[in-house]
Amino acid sequence: MDNDSPTSGDAEIVGQVVAGDVHAFEHLLRKYQNHVLILLKKHLPYDHIEETAQDVFIRAYKSLPTFRGESSFKQWLSTIAVRTCYDFWRKHYKSRELPMSSLTEKNQVWLEEAISAQASQSFHEQSLQKEAREILDWALDRLSAADRMVLELVYLEGYSLRETADLLGWSIANVKVRSFRSRKKLHKLLTQAKLR
Amino acid sequence: MNPPKIEPEVLQAILRKAYQEKENVEVGDQWQQEVMRRVRELGTLQPTPTFPEMLEQLVWRLAPVTCLLIFGLTVLFAVSDFTSGYEVFQLFMNGTEELTFALFAGL
Repeated sequence: MDNDSPTSGDAEIVGQVVAGDVHAFEHLLRKYQNHVLILLKKHLPYDHIEETAQDVFIRAYKSLPTFRGESSFKQWLSTIAVRTCYDFWRKHYKSRELPMSSLTEKNQVWLEEAISAQASQSFHEQSLQKEAREILDWALDRLSAADRMVLELVYLEGYSLRETADLLGWSIANVKVRSFRSRKKLHKLLTQAKLR
Repeated sequence: MNPPKIEPEVLQAILRKAYQEKENVEVGDQWQQEVMRRVRELGTLQPTPTFPEMLEQLVWRLAPVTCLLIFGLTVLFAVSDFTSGYEVFQLFMNGTEELTFALFAGL
């Protein structure tokens, strides 16, 4: 793998691919497959990652003629990956192919403890990540695709509003408003779940 | 009953940690081969067309519709008796003028 090659080399490879050398695309595929997989694993269910990663690279290949080199290839590819994730959730929320996860009693007890423990460090140490993940998945399942993506990028991954806007192709104002609303929705969901 | 107050920072920290710690995904050579197979199927890329090229494409796309329209109108004029229709119109117009003059003259 040529992970150490400079980013400037990417533009040359892109030029080769656009000029007709299809095989040169394999260099980009090998170099950035891990980056794309790491990005996708945060946003998608485990069993959909491989297939969606393929779609990301196919989409990138088709869009290569539009790559102007204004940003790095990695950043450009990240944008395609994030938008592919967004499209994935839009499609799946429309058809509701994925079953909505339900909150078990164990999850509710965990949530109760998480909320009542306030800033207790011991809770952080002892808490089971699996349960936290289940609760998070449960709450995210109940948000729209747009709310989900904004929440994941801003609230959970710590991207700035501008970075999120660039990744999703939205205006900063839109990201700001949606981020605020989706955060409120998440808190409401978790609070209501605790009250049940 | 008012909902209990959640400390957003605490909850965010817990959820963020859970979010980050998802299991890793690894793909093998077969996955890469599958992507490259799909890429080869797509073939070589076409460069993004410039504005005159896009205009040309649009013109060629509209050309069959334009031809069909011209052909259709030609057939329509050939089938419907255009000349006699015009003559009837002229007759009507002339007739109206005469009638108007006759009325004006009080005849």
